[in-house]
Amino acid sequence: MTTPRRPLARTATRTTRRTTVRTTVRTTATLACVLLATSAALSSCTASRQEPGQAVAAVADAVELADSAVATTNLTVVLLDGGDLVAPVADTAISDQIGELSDASSALTTLVPPDDTSSALRVQGLAALAMAVDAVVSARAWVAHTAGGDLGPDGGVPTDPRDVVDALDEAADQLEAVLTEAGR
Amino acid sequence: MKKLLGVALGILTAIGGFVDIGDLVTNAVVGARFGFSLVWVVAVGVIGICLFAEMSGRVAAVSGRATFEIIRERLGPRAGGANLVASFAINLLTLTAEIGGIALALHLASSVEPRLWMPVAALAVWLVLWRVKFSIMENVVGLMGLLLIGFAVALFLLGPDWSQVAREITQPAVPEGEHPAAYWYYAVALFGAAMTPYEVFFFSSGAVEEKWTAKSLGQNRLNVFTGFPLGGLLSVAIAGCAAVVLLPHGIEVSTLSQIVLPVAQAGGTLLLAVVIVGIVAATFGAALETALSSGYTLAQYLGWSWGKFRRPAQAARFHVTMMIALLLAVAILMTSVDPVAVTEFSVVFSAVALPLTYIPILVVANDPDYMGARVNGRVANTLGSVYLGIVLVAALAAIPLMIATGAGS
Amino acid sequence: MTRRIIDARLHLLSRQVLDVDGEPVTTVEDLELRGADGGDVVAGEPAHVAAILSGPVLVTRILGGRPPQSRWERIAWSAVSHLGTVVELDVEASTLDVDWPERWLREHVVRRIPGGQHDPEGES
Repeated sequence: MTTPRRPLARTATRTTRRTTVRTTVRTTATLACVLLATSAALSSCTASRQEPGQAVAAVADAVELADSAVATTNLTVVLLDGGDLVAPVADTAISDQIGELSDASSALTTLVPPDDTSSALRVQGLAALAMAVDAVVSARAWVAHTAGGDLGPDGGVPTDPRDVVDALDEAADQLEAVLTEAGR
Repeated sequence: MKKLLGVALGILTAIGGFVDIGDLVTNAVVGARFGFSLVWVVAVGVIGICLFAEMSGRVAAVSGRATFEIIRERLGPRAGGANLVASFAINLLTLTAEIGGIALALHLASSVEPRLWMPVAALAVWLVLWRVKFSIMENVVGLMGLLLIGFAVALFLLGPDWSQVAREITQPAVPEGEHPAAYWYYAVALFGAAMTPYEVFFFSSGAVEEKWTAKSLGQNRLNVFTGFPLGGLLSVAIAGCAAVVLLPHGIEVSTLSQIVLPVAQAGGTLLLAVVIVGIVAATFGAALETALSSGYTLAQYLGWSWGKFRRPAQAARFHVTMMIALLLAVAILMTSVDPVAVTEFSVVFSAVALPLTYIPILVVANDPDYMGARVNGRVANTLGSVYLGIVLVAALAAIPLMIATGAGS
Repeated sequence: MTRRIIDARLHLLSRQVLDVDGEPVTTVEDLELRGADGGDVVAGEPAHVAAILSGPVLVTRILGGRPPQSRWERIAWSAVSHLGTVVELDVEASTLDVDWPERWLREHVVRRIPGGQHDPEGES
């Protein structure tokens, strides 16, 4: 009677161990998948340390963002000047675009260009971005001016919407020049 | 006469309640980038939500069982529980996006920082949940959400070349300079925005709240089959405005303030004011619906008493759940995340969760124990199966597309 | 009442339990089975359902194992009046032990907030 008992017990132990092993394998596989997915998701976010082509694309993306912000500001100024927009909405719209510009700026400044081409493009992009920031900030000051704020030419605030639009157009031209350079 | 008024009211609130911050943002982003070339996805999504909302409404009216009770009963505690965790999390994300949306819309109207508006908006949502009768809540926010018709008016005033628009809609193609992966990523996002699961949780539980019976089935069909498609047209109008005004300027939509600029261009300050009130109402309504859905899903899974028709003291756990959900949403927003980014994530994750919600509905709508003679007909089952396929593909494709495109950038 | 054959797994587990007024109480998280003589269940022998279980038993139904008997929250099977797509009881929820979390939150949280007793469907 004793003989069949031992193998039975041994089989039971073995089964248990195998289940444990399988569970461990499964857990490890899940963990690996999660890690892989996370790192893949993160790698698309970081702009630094890239191939030359990717660096050019990163500069172009940031410049495109800035271009969109300048275009939005331009549209806002034209609408407010034409009486189609109220000052609070215009102010919100432009301050949102200042946020976009600072995103573009941080993308450009944190980039580590791996070669001369992308480095030169980044320098150009930063210069164009600086113009864009100036133009958008003074557009917002003009909005405050039209809303009856105590602002005027003495504080460097433009009073003529045409000046504002001209500055924005010029910034947009610079940004688009960078984009052409980048091949977009 | 009174009955006719009730029918009209139901349809109008279905239109006004269709659009939420997810539809608003996704449609504008897509319109500004892809023009009218993704309108077909909205059509596909609207047919899908009609199909499954009608089913869940019918199940609720005939059997008195809301969607998550059915999910629990059919999937059991384990799969049902996993579904609950996923649905609750996505619902919380959507609630966060909606409250952020209210704050952004009020920010537009007032220039007061959105972070100051967020707790105010959440408090207002809670007060309505705590105090106001269900039908009044639904009708008021639904009718005010109807002001989003301003987008459709704006599109007509802008007067695009309609034959060109028709060509873009009927012969969709990936626009030049866009990667196909980005195109399909936004297709999935639009689909997720149109078929957000909370709409079904809310719709079926709302049927129980309003004490629908088998007699209400006609009303159910009418609300769904006229209200939702008209709501879908509002979505298309939002995309259209962005396509006509923002696309030619090369503007990428990333803020709510950009979405309303085309309206101002078309209709001036008056139309702008109408649309901003509409956005506040639509996001407020959706915040109410998602907050309620967080209570509905948990209470229905665990068998608690739930419903706004009860005194809060008679559904204590349900009300405490909603309070906690609102507090969590505000806490997430206070980390100064961008509500627009939260919205974009919420619609994509909604797409991932779609099968979890829609498979059990299709199964129970065929169960004579629950439905008696009101089980699905052949048309509903064929369409339901087709949509199950679409929903599965969208759910499986969502995350890989998101990673491949860097969330669409 | 006509006799029906009921599959406990299919027709009982995870169903909604309503009290005599139609108020939701819980879901059927698990069942307590007893042998014919009231003792433990023996495989192959007839058994009967002694009680509906709720509360912490849900956790163990998901994760496996079972809580000690002292932690079981029971609704006696004798309280069941009708089985349909829901399980109906012939007692009020307030008389049941399983309803304690609802009552605790009601007394300590919800009732203390102004308007907690307000009837939303009534004239306001």
